[in-house]
Amino acid sequence: MEFVMNIILSSVRMATPLIFLALAELYSQRAGLVHIGLEGLASIGSLVGFLVSLITGSPMLGVLAGAAVGILVNMIFAYATVTLCAEQIVYGMAINIFAPALAAFIYRVYFGAGSELVQVGLMNTLSGSLGITSDNFLVRLLLDQTPMVYLAYGLVIFTVIYFNRTKSGLNYKAVGEYPKAAATLGINVIGVKYAACVICGALAGIGGAYLTTCYANTYVDGNVAGRGFIALAAVIFGRWSGAGVLLACLFFGFCDALQIRLQVGSFGVPYQFFQMIPYVATVVVLASIGMKKAGPKSSGKPYLKEER
Amino acid sequence: MKNSGKLVSFLVPIISILLAFVIGCIIMAVLGANPFVALESLWIGAFGSLRNVGTTLARSTPLIFTSLCACFAYRCGVFNLGGEGQFLMGSIVCCYIATQSGIEGLPAIILCLVGGAAAGGVWSLISGLLKVYRGQNEMIITIMLNYVATLFMGVVYTNWLRDGSVPQTQAVPDATQLSRLFGLRVTSAFVIALVVGLLVYYFLFYTSKGFQLRAVGLNMTAAEFNGFAVKKYILMSFIVSGAIAGLGGSAELLGTQFRLINGFGNGYGFDGVAMALIGQLHPLATILVAIFFAALRVGSTTMQAATGVPTSVSDIIQALVIVFTVAGLAMVKLPGFKAFLGRLTERRKEAA
Amino acid sequence: MKKLLAILLTLAMSLSLAACGGTGTDTTGGTEDGGDSSGESAYRVAMICDSSISDGGWGMSCYNAMVDAAEEHGWETEVSDSIAQSAYYDTIVSYCDLGYDLIYAPGNQYTDAVLQAAEEFPDVAFALLNGGEDTPAQAANGNVTSLLPNAQQVGWIAGALAGLMTQSGTIAFIGGMELDTTLGKYQGYQEAAAYVGEQEGKTVTTLDIVYSGDFSATDKGIEFAKAMIDQGADVFFGDASAVDSGARQAIDEANAASGSVTIYDIAQPSDLLGQNECIIGSQVTDNASLVGLCMEAVENGTFGGEVIYGTLQNGALSAGALSDLVPADVQEKYQSYLDQMVNDTFMK
Repeated sequence: MEFVMNIILSSVRMATPLIFLALAELYSQRAGLVHIGLEGLASIGSLVGFLVSLITGSPMLGVLAGAAVGILVNMIFAYATVTLCAEQIVYGMAINIFAPALAAFIYRVYFGAGSELVQVGLMNTLSGSLGITSDNFLVRLLLDQTPMVYLAYGLVIFTVIYFNRTKSGLNYKAVGEYPKAAATLGINVIGVKYAACVICGALAGIGGAYLTTCYANTYVDGNVAGRGFIALAAVIFGRWSGAGVLLACLFFGFCDALQIRLQVGSFGVPYQFFQMIPYVATVVVLASIGMKKAGPKSSGKPYLKEER
Repeated sequence: MKNSGKLVSFLVPIISILLAFVIGCIIMAVLGANPFVALESLWIGAFGSLRNVGTTLARSTPLIFTSLCACFAYRCGVFNLGGEGQFLMGSIVCCYIATQSGIEGLPAIILCLVGGAAAGGVWSLISGLLKVYRGQNEMIITIMLNYVATLFMGVVYTNWLRDGSVPQTQAVPDATQLSRLFGLRVTSAFVIALVVGLLVYYFLFYTSKGFQLRAVGLNMTAAEFNGFAVKKYILMSFIVSGAIAGLGGSAELLGTQFRLINGFGNGYGFDGVAMALIGQLHPLATILVAIFFAALRVGSTTMQAATGVPTSVSDIIQALVIVFTVAGLAMVKLPGFKAFLGRLTERRKEAA
Repeated sequence: MKKLLAILLTLAMSLSLAACGGTGTDTTGGTEDGGDSSGESAYRVAMICDSSISDGGWGMSCYNAMVDAAEEHGWETEVSDSIAQSAYYDTIVSYCDLGYDLIYAPGNQYTDAVLQAAEEFPDVAFALLNGGEDTPAQAANGNVTSLLPNAQQVGWIAGALAGLMTQSGTIAFIGGMELDTTLGKYQGYQEAAAYVGEQEGKTVTTLDIVYSGDFSATDKGIEFAKAMIDQGADVFFGDASAVDSGARQAIDEANAASGSVTIYDIAQPSDLLGQNECIIGSQVTDNASLVGLCMEAVENGTFGGEVIYGTLQNGALSAGALSDLVPADVQEKYQSYLDQMVNDTFMK
């Protein structure tokens, strides 16, 4: 029982950054933009979040700065793919090469060749700020979390309502499905796509900053460690719906937590097989659903205004 | 109009490279280093001596394979981003044959290369089948399969073929290693890469099958209307591009690394895609681009040692080249830009 | 295009400017001179490292050791850190091409890359920390020296302290790569803790060793430590660079949650007391003196082919300062165990 509870706590911990990144991907894809550059956005977000929280001493400002730099870098993506109609996946890849290089460079220049471990104070958990200490499982699950965790789940609920219950959300989805029809209805397709990039950049930056302001108190190059691509998998595995994405992130977080625990318990199966689960699951899901259900219809396609 | 279009698409990468270097120089100057000294040491590091040229060519070899892989697939309209996974699957099979079969020497080399190419082709075919028969986006599938292949290689070198105290496989026997050229670090793998490049070039531009394949890539609907077996060509491009990457994986294992280890082939797939695009999907231009990127990587260590500019500046320059070229190429394809270009050439004609 | 360029330029400029306002623009160690250096003819040493040199553990200690030794001998230093395993050889060769006199590779995992490069560059000296005893003999040109701190003794130094300090009777060890030296440290740690525990009338078991597989995965360190704390471990030792830092963070958090420091960590390979609250002591390896020996050998032209051992007896290994969390009587006991190790009467 203890084992199960610990795994649940650990899964929630591992899933949170994935939720931010997966929501970033979801907002992007719902506007018809497939973005594989989240890994890059998150890496620059995590570095800037780290630096700002180190300088100002406020993890919250770190998260905000992470969001800001995420938006800034993602504007390159937005301009190239929306205005210039560059191939989205290729451009996402370019971001993946550019942003981590920039992050590594800034870290090296800022800290020099100095070899001291730089640690920052992490964001307080709710129970920490309230002064509650308890070993109770429910208290730990529900209260011993940083505000970012509540924000993540709040955003999921907001997303579900937004895309299904509001006019604006339906318009947003229309841009990803039938941009030309949406344009004839008077929706500003280009505007929505840019807005999607702002949201995506902010969320991806927050997801990266979460790693250095709420999770680990140090920065290491490559600390995003493939989470951007797992988030991409989570969006597909969760069938492009807010609730589905949440479940997918929790499931992938669970796989990761299980993998760590199995290593500690030294079972015979190589741990890499557990790490494969998100990717294999995504391929299986894609293979089993037909092309008609596979996400927003114009996802990945450029939108040329002139073709109207 | 057509000529000026060609000229423009040739100019875009050149301008992008220049722009990237200008920004790189500004960054270096801001850091207090002399950008000209830095560029000079970058050049010396990459091409300053015969030995360095050998190193650069050796480093470019795997990139040539993965960029040819991307090049071939894209010509058929297939966005194979799985070069890395196919590269790794090729090297895994190659590693099994080289270290476990007991065969050594030339027969083993041939078997390894063929086995590696076959493994890459089969791994790529999975994505191809899912695209053709399930209508799925091959880009997502190939990315996912890259991760599966990387983790699978992890199992191989930490468990199944592990050798000794370090998580790595046994080394390829001396007799099975590819020979070095003129005592430099570059091996016959580079020659194989060049030959593959020439074959791809010949196939795409001088055979009727190659023409049909490109026709499928240019306009799938029209090709189908003309009675071309579109599905067959798509599957073929998956298999062939995967085989090129798999061959590259084998050649890299037999020529440079000799054993599977952590980080083997990391990033080569995406790098290859970028290089193919910068090379305008032309196999021979692609090879040149791959050598250019390899030179940037090899030279950056010399640059760091000479000027104290961190090697990540070189990474940033490389990334900027990609960022600018891809955006630039998209821009010149925009109707607005084409119209602008058209007006420009017309005016020139009038003037003449 | 113009817009894009403008954005990029401003980004690059502002970031670089921000950087200049920081700790200074002295980016790498390339220009650090040893004060009384003999000008341009100074010897040069380059270090390669797969973890970051600011990892607060292994990489940092090894780098500082090189810099200290270089300062003493008037050498210039250069480093490439956070490199992948597949890039070891390439990086070493770049430095050889640049005419470096000594390549310093701090870890058993570099063995094959070093041997390969040593064959091609007979004039370059290679110092392999934690190299095997038979590695120098394998180098055809006799230009490889193993610096071999005794892994068992490293484990003993930490294990004795762990055996004394554990309350739960369960202790843990986190490894990075599956190396022989790491396993040697683990075994020494395990046997020393069990022995000392027995002397104190308690049973001490060590959890199975886990490997992060990657020296920079801080997050794995956090998760491993949490999982091991859940299994009752209350003293940690590790051999995994930034992963250790992650583990220490998790231990500090667990201690903060319970309100008192009851879970401890032992650091290596330099004295890291005070870096984290949970560190009660360190196992110290004097890598600087080992590297210094290599530098002297290079200067005298006598370099090569030897194994330089680092032991408690010759002073290369020692225990660092202990924190106040270790009661005075325990400190005394620990000292007596250390004396036993030096006198070779430990566990006998």
